[in-house]
Amino acid sequence: MKTLTLRNLAKTYFDPYAGAHVNAVHDVSLEVEQGEFVSMVGPSGCGKTTILNMIAGFIPYSGGEILLNGKAIDGPGPERGVVFQSFALFPWKTVLDNVGFGPKMRGVPKAERDKIAYEYLALAGLSHAANRYPNELSGGMQQRVGVVRALANHPDVLLMDEPFASVDAQTRMTLQEELTRIWQERRPTVIFVTHDVPEAVFLANRVVVLSKGRVLDQVEVDLPRPRVWDDLIEDDNFKRLSSQVLHMVRSA
Amino acid sequence: MNILLRSWSAYTRITLRWPGLAAIVPFIPVIALWVAVTESGIFPRAFLPGPVEVSKAFFTLTYKGILPDYLQDSLLRLITGAAVGMTLGIPLGILIGTSKWARRITWPILLFFQAIGDIAWLPILLIWFGFGLTTMTFVIVYTVLFPVVLNTVLGVESVPLDLARAARSLGASRARVLWEVTLPGALPNIITGLRNGLGYGWRALIAVEIIVGTSGIGFMMFDARRAGSVVEILLGMIILGLLWYIVDAWILAPIERATGQRWGLVTS
Repeated sequence: MKTLTLRNLAKTYFDPYAGAHVNAVHDVSLEVEQGEFVSMVGPSGCGKTTILNMIAGFIPYSGGEILLNGKAIDGPGPERGVVFQSFALFPWKTVLDNVGFGPKMRGVPKAERDKIAYEYLALAGLSHAANRYPNELSGGMQQRVGVVRALANHPDVLLMDEPFASVDAQTRMTLQEELTRIWQERRPTVIFVTHDVPEAVFLANRVVVLSKGRVLDQVEVDLPRPRVWDDLIEDDNFKRLSSQVLHMVRSA
Repeated sequence: MNILLRSWSAYTRITLRWPGLAAIVPFIPVIALWVAVTESGIFPRAFLPGPVEVSKAFFTLTYKGILPDYLQDSLLRLITGAAVGMTLGIPLGILIGTSKWARRITWPILLFFQAIGDIAWLPILLIWFGFGLTTMTFVIVYTVLFPVVLNTVLGVESVPLDLARAARSLGASRARVLWEVTLPGALPNIITGLRNGLGYGWRALIAVEIIVGTSGIGFMMFDARRAGSVVEILLGMIILGLLWYIVDAWILAPIERATGQRWGLVTS
């Protein structure tokens, strides 16, 4: 079942410094199945973050269409959860209230949304931090909160914009493993934007390679799950897929 | 050297246990200097009375009920002006900070009127409203309003875009974003604006009381000048300083510690 459809999606904006129109994205078409994990990779400036922001409804698109469950999207909405590179946790809310924010907006009473929040914090191993403020947590812990905050709202699709780019390398590997575990448990539909090729391959069912605002190619990733770095780092299939994607990105 | 170091560490320890001391001890040399100058007899006593005379005046005026009355009048005026200034200033600041159009239209006007300082309004206000409460309140509100508006705008603009986006993608309406994201995000700046506003307002109030007043600390000081009572003038000045210290240390600083500093938005 198709959850998300991008059809001839395009984005043109006016660059006041160059004094000209710039085509950031042109003619991108993509189908995402329900429960699929799709990574989007490409060199910087390839339009991957722009595409994600258009799907999220943060910026308007200038051509084509974005359909979610057959309906055109209009602005941001809770059926599209977003995980930000900057974490974007509310500094004035405790971890518990951050995770309970989506349910709160739906009108879920306090006791019930606390229960939901605790359930999702447990999923990320963060129950002990429920009453802390975000600035008291490490970057890795903050982004775990960011992920479960989006999940606790039961989005149809989870949009992740280089979510692990600003944490240290070891933490990043742990977070990637946790994300695959959570994905296997909950089976959300995920679009994951990154410029890190091994990360894209490690996480996804399918890797979409973008170049200059177009889809260059797509690679199916049929590696078995659960995936852990200790196994995959030596795995021939993983190495082959990674180098295949890497060559595409480098030539892009 | 060793003794200095040891007494300094003792002082640090004591003030950690009784923070109130840290506010009092620095004044000991100031008062000592004051006593030294008055006792030396360089100035006639009527020109520069010492701490003892000023304390006596404090007790006499308190006993007569004049000082408490005046103090209450001044504080009420400040509180009224600050309350009105905040009620107008915070929503106005949020409007200007969130709307590009509102900002473009109001910003030049704001800067223009900000330049016409509080006291500069007095001549025309005295003609319009006479020597009364309306004139005083107007000046205080005017003084408090600008720092609150300008800092609120600054605060609204400092809230990261991703926070509003996160809230929207979690299902918040634009109105909810205002309440859940913009307002708390701007709060540290709003408090800064309030602190500046109250500080300016307090000074403006004294100036207005001197010119307009029929009561209040400013009036007391000016009235004392007429009577040639330096003691009361000094007493008024000391009260001004003390009151501001109390407002800042007991009201504004704790709010800052509980909000912006707790959230890591401002470093202490």
